[in-house]
Amino acid sequence: MRYTQHTRFLIVCLVILILLPWFFQTIESSYLVSTFTRLVIFAIAAVSLDLLIGYTGLVSFGHAAFLGVGAYTVGILSFHAYEETTFLGLPGTLSGLVSIPLAIVLSALVALIIGALSLRTKGVYFIMITLSFGQMLFFLFVSLEQYGGDDGMMMFDGRNTLPGFNLNDRVEFYYFCLTWFVLFFWFSTRLVRSKFGRTLAAIRQNEDRLSSIGINEYWAKLQIFVIAGIGAGLAGALSANHTEFISPDITHWTRSGDLMIVVILGGMGTLIGPVLGTFLFLLLEEFLPLILHSLGLNLLSEHWRFVFGPILILMVLYAKFGLYGLIFRQRS
Amino acid sequence: MLEIQNLCKSFGALKASDDLSLSVDQGTIHALIGPNGAGKTTLISQLSGYMQPNSGMITFDGQDLLTVPAHKRPHAGLVRSFQITSVFPELTVLDNICLVLQSMRGHAHSIIRLAASDYFEQNEAQEILTRVGLNDKAYSLTGNLAHGQKRQVEIAMALATKPKLLLLDEPMAGMGTEESLQIMDLLNVLRKSVTMLLVEHDMDVVFSLADKISVLVYGRVVASDTPENIRNNQDVQEAYLGGNELKTKAEIC
Repeated sequence: MRYTQHTRFLIVCLVILILLPWFFQTIESSYLVSTFTRLVIFAIAAVSLDLLIGYTGLVSFGHAAFLGVGAYTVGILSFHAYEETTFLGLPGTLSGLVSIPLAIVLSALVALIIGALSLRTKGVYFIMITLSFGQMLFFLFVSLEQYGGDDGMMMFDGRNTLPGFNLNDRVEFYYFCLTWFVLFFWFSTRLVRSKFGRTLAAIRQNEDRLSSIGINEYWAKLQIFVIAGIGAGLAGALSANHTEFISPDITHWTRSGDLMIVVILGGMGTLIGPVLGTFLFLLLEEFLPLILHSLGLNLLSEHWRFVFGPILILMVLYAKFGLYGLIFRQRS
Repeated sequence: MLEIQNLCKSFGALKASDDLSLSVDQGTIHALIGPNGAGKTTLISQLSGYMQPNSGMITFDGQDLLTVPAHKRPHAGLVRSFQITSVFPELTVLDNICLVLQSMRGHAHSIIRLAASDYFEQNEAQEILTRVGLNDKAYSLTGNLAHGQKRQVEIAMALATKPKLLLLDEPMAGMGTEESLQIMDLLNVLRKSVTMLLVEHDMDVVFSLADKISVLVYGRVVASDTPENIRNNQDVQEAYLGGNELKTKAEIC
């Protein structure tokens, strides 16, 4: 019953997302396509974090680190392509066929290293150690003087190229990101229903029992940590292309915090929830000042977070399972 | 089949295993009795790899067990059940068993295989549930079961690994009479194919099932013999069964 309701909901959402550019064109606000591109990109990262927090019970507070790895991979390759210099003897490139797969591979690698070390800890220590790794990467990127240090760098040549597509076109890039989002979301729904998904549920519920039934929970956790890292790395690579600007801010711990808020706001362990959470969070962030301004509340409009904060608190207090719980009520 | 030599494990000043030696022969039900705090569960934990001994040797099937990590021991045929029920409460009973089956088949990390569509696995799980008498609860959430039924899930999970040696830590604790009898029957059937090391407080169960009984007191094996000889053993009677003070203690447990 719930399954069909889910499917119907997802199909409606997908149709809306596909028709959006056309809709924005008819109301002559095509710039909104760019806003929604951002939503779709961060939804990928939120879904990947939900695999960790919601499904495995691993509260990772350093997820933005992988956004940074993805973004800087794209950025550094573009930088060397523009400068016509080399990086460790390799030339830079703007080709999306190289930089996006490379961003995925590198974020997987970084996730493997960070995961291998931090998964030796549990509970609060895991939260703290992932936070530390996130901040380490933040300061690493700040220290990269060649790539703009804490000012970041522009992608002067524009977005990555892809044969047959023009990613510099707003609408085409939106569909490019939407495709990645749909693929990752589909992959994630399949993952949580797979046998590995059952192992993850078992880890969340009673981790200590796993070795007695022959499962190495450390490897299972590392596996999902790497998969989640890949999701965030992909989102980072797309985000760099979107803004054509990369700075260490994308790895800052407040970014990790935003991702966590989005997952909790939307409903942990639901996959759909974090997507809805991302949309609500980023849309409020973007439009709340405007709404308050048009209501004549100029002071609040300037300090819009004053309104934003209580909204989040009320959501967490009163909406069980977050936005997901509001939509699919019958879940007890 | 299982050989324990000079095992020592202490927690501070407390010696939970004190130069403990024991051997379990293939095809037997070997019961382990002793008053509370004698180190029975600690021994099971060391055998299953949840704790590392301070010194001593454990060999299983001719293999040095102490070098085998805990999660590989079930694959080698050595499986434990828990005295304090330890199941996966938000999974259905069937899923609890399927989880074990997928692990034994090496599918625990598989993203390609969907959990709900492996009917072969589900049939096998259903069969195991029938054996422990839980077939009508297959689709209940394990957390919603009565305590005795959770104990049955615990045993079903251990069985699903198809063990060679089953370490049962008070399998009947907290079960109703009917379920207890069913599990006793089950253990009687299993004895043909599975070797068991059984920790149990219920002396009726112990004396009717066991081929051999070892008595553990303060981390030491004070006697290891057939039920008949244990019953007549003067030391054991004084130390455990017969001693008035200790007898009341054993009854309380």
